[in-house]
Amino acid sequence: MTQFDLNDDSVVVIIGSGAGGGTLANELAQKGIKSVVLEAGKRFDLSDIENDEWAMFQKISWLDKRYSGGGWHGAVNHPTLPAWIVKGYGGSTIHWAGVALLFKDFEFKTRTNYGAIEGANVEDWPIDLEEMTPWYEKAELKMGVTGKTTGMPHLPWNNGFRVLAEGCRRTGRSDYRSGPMAINSVDRDDRPACQQIGFCMQGCAIGAKWSTMYTELPRAEDTGKCEIRTDAMVLKIEHDETGKASAVVYADKDGNQFRQKARVVCVAGNSIESPRMLLNSASSMFPDGLANSSGQVGKNYMNHTTGGVYAVLPEKVHMYRGTSVAGVVGDEVYHDPARGFSGGYYLEFLSLGLPFMAAFLEPGNTGWGRSVTRALEGYDRMSGVWVLGEDLAQERNAITLHDSEVDQHGLPVPIISKTPHNNDYEMTAHMYETTAQIYESVGATDVYELPAYPATHNMGTNRMHADPTKGVVNAYGQSHDIDNLFVSDGSQFTSSAACNPTLTIVALAIRQAEYIAQEMNAQNI
Amino acid sequence: MSIRFHRLGKSEEDKAAMSRRMFLMTTTMAGVTTNAMLGGTAFAASDVLTQAQSTSLLRMVQDIYPHPDILQLSHYQAIATTVMNNAEANEDMAKGLTDGLDQIDAKAQELHGVPYVEIEDPDAREGLLRHFQHEGFFQGVRWTAYFGIYDNKDVWPLLGYEGSSAEHGGYIDRGFSDITFVPEGPTLEERLADVQS
Ligand SMILES: Cc1cc2nc3c(=O)[nH]c(=O)nc-3n(C[C@H](O)[C@H](O)[C@H](O)COP(=O)(O)OP(=O)(O)OC[C@H]3O[C@@H](n4cnc5c(N)ncnc54)[C@H](O)[C@@H]3O)c2cc1C
Ligand code: SF4
Repeated sequence: MTQFDLNDDSVVVIIGSGAGGGTLANELAQKGIKSVVLEAGKRFDLSDIENDEWAMFQKISWLDKRYSGGGWHGAVNHPTLPAWIVKGYGGSTIHWAGVALLFKDFEFKTRTNYGAIEGANVEDWPIDLEEMTPWYEKAELKMGVTGKTTGMPHLPWNNGFRVLAEGCRRTGRSDYRSGPMAINSVDRDDRPACQQIGFCMQGCAIGAKWSTMYTELPRAEDTGKCEIRTDAMVLKIEHDETGKASAVVYADKDGNQFRQKARVVCVAGNSIESPRMLLNSASSMFPDGLANSSGQVGKNYMNHTTGGVYAVLPEKVHMYRGTSVAGVVGDEVYHDPARGFSGGYYLEFLSLGLPFMAAFLEPGNTGWGRSVTRALEGYDRMSGVWVLGEDLAQERNAITLHDSEVDQHGLPVPIISKTPHNNDYEMTAHMYETTAQIYESVGATDVYELPAYPATHNMGTNRMHADPTKGVVNAYGQSHDIDNLFVSDGSQFTSSAACNPTLTIVALAIRQAEYIAQEMNAQNI
Repeated sequence: MSIRFHRLGKSEEDKAAMSRRMFLMTTTMAGVTTNAMLGGTAFAASDVLTQAQSTSLLRMVQDIYPHPDILQLSHYQAIATTVMNNAEANEDMAKGLTDGLDQIDAKAQELHGVPYVEIEDPDAREGLLRHFQHEGFFQGVRWTAYFGIYDNKDVWPLLGYEGSSAEHGGYIDRGFSDITFVPEGPTLEERLADVQS
């Protein structure tokens, strides 16, 4: 395997090997551009995948110390688990469920379409759907997304989704289908078709679901242009006297520190660690952290307005059989202020295994007793959804550094604050009501409303903006302040949209790779 | 602010079809969680608990996750044994547990005039335990019970969960789409037409 010298200052250093970092590494490698990927977690492969919710959670999650803050229930019920993110070769694309939706046009221009919203910090992206469409198509082809671009049919419907779909039909809905999913419905790209194993969110044991773990990363390594160092936790990004990024300091699993020189640095540690790294890299030249002249690094943390709804049906459903997110309902994704909130939301069928259902049905200290056991005795008759909708950017929702506590590397522990906006409360009420009506139309006897889970979609903390005083990066994810410092993950998002973020992260990374190649060729960076 | 639905107003028939809707999360108090994993030992005498305390513990485990028609006493005994084994290995935990069980009994005497295990009404026992649900000892027992029931592969079939499927080739030929009370999904031809039109 290729190895680059620590003093080789011609390499692009990419921090993180998930959706953003893994894609960027492979795109650059295919163009012949050399890179070193630094990944904090271990190297995993398909043999590490188990069909066991807690075993996989324990094995691959990011469990370094973190605190939940703000007014959401998790600050109390999930005090040290604000988010569910993977630490390892492949990042959260090992756990992800594979829903691969794209933004709607209006969702790129939320300030224009929603107007100024009190208490929120809503802005327009410097890009739009027309600009992104070809990149979305490249992303769909790369990831193997069922739908028109690839021509791959959506997946067959499993029991749980059939119940939801019938409820949609009976309540007059029309936009419900078993895709788009980045899961093979036929053999494609050297990966097999889905076998309806379930446990998609524990990692797909056969690789039917796209993950950088067995696509982008090994393919990048195969070119000989990319070295991926695992167990390499980045502590700090350094700059030279002109203010350009020059090196990255990281620690191996034994705590030994190394300094990798770099021509370009790309940050893709997901939306908690990416801003944390920039804040931790403060220097006398950049006292507020790197790329932070706008003061927006770490701000505008978004993780979608979410909840769960599980309905007990009169007959057995066995919802856990087959694809975990087996279908998507898009009828509620439109902006109509008359509904009492801005933005739209999706309903996504989502099966939880019994262990997770028992833990999240009523999270926190109170989740025991007869109401809980009665509900769980209906487990095999349940169908349910994860509802997710637009989360408005707010400055107070932020990643900040603890002023005294440090992690195992001596770095200040991050505090992840999230307080719902009134928009969220209005939207959540609507989500619960809509879902209950759908399930009641198919005869649900009990409907359980679950509060938000620890966040899986994390966005916005290094946001894009045309105006350098309002955002951290430009339309290519290049920081406004430092030309050779890029953000390559979901922290670039200016708005969250209603949809799951990964297809957009991948599309942006493909586009960013093109831009980096062009700027390197032109000797601009 | 008004919330509008693009659904017709409720008819009498619809009202009758209303389900019971529940948001179970009631209070939000800072919590203690433990991930104590279970050993599968039998219910045995304990060095740290008196006979009365052991009996209370067994009752408590049953009241925390009562599944009287589904689980056997032995399931709960295994959990109580795990709690006691953990307590034997840790002095602080043992003290927390014995003090906690004593407090439960004291509260039972105060409210009902009998020890906890002699309260007959299950609702009353649950109500009593609710007084202690934010205590570390209580959550220690609760999470041990959680793992002993819901993360226990022997219990899963009793609650209708089949667990790991990859080694059986998934559910593609094992009933992923076998229910009959709603229509089937689209055929392959229909799904192809949907993406190729
Ligand atoms: C259970 C689950 C289900 C999901 N389902 C979906 C879905 O259906 N559809 C969808 O679109 N999205 C889904 N997501 C979200 C999706 O996984 C993320 O949006 C996506 O992976 C984010 O990509 P990323 O590159 O920003 O970060 P990640 O993929 O999280 O990768 C970040 C990597 O950076 C590494 N890292 C962090 N800090 C450092 C450091 N200091 N030094 C070195 N390395 C570091 C981490 O270890 C990690 O491997 C899901 C997530 C989860 C957890
Ligand atoms: S259901 Fe399909 S995608 Fe999900 S884990 Fe199984 S084979 Fe993989």
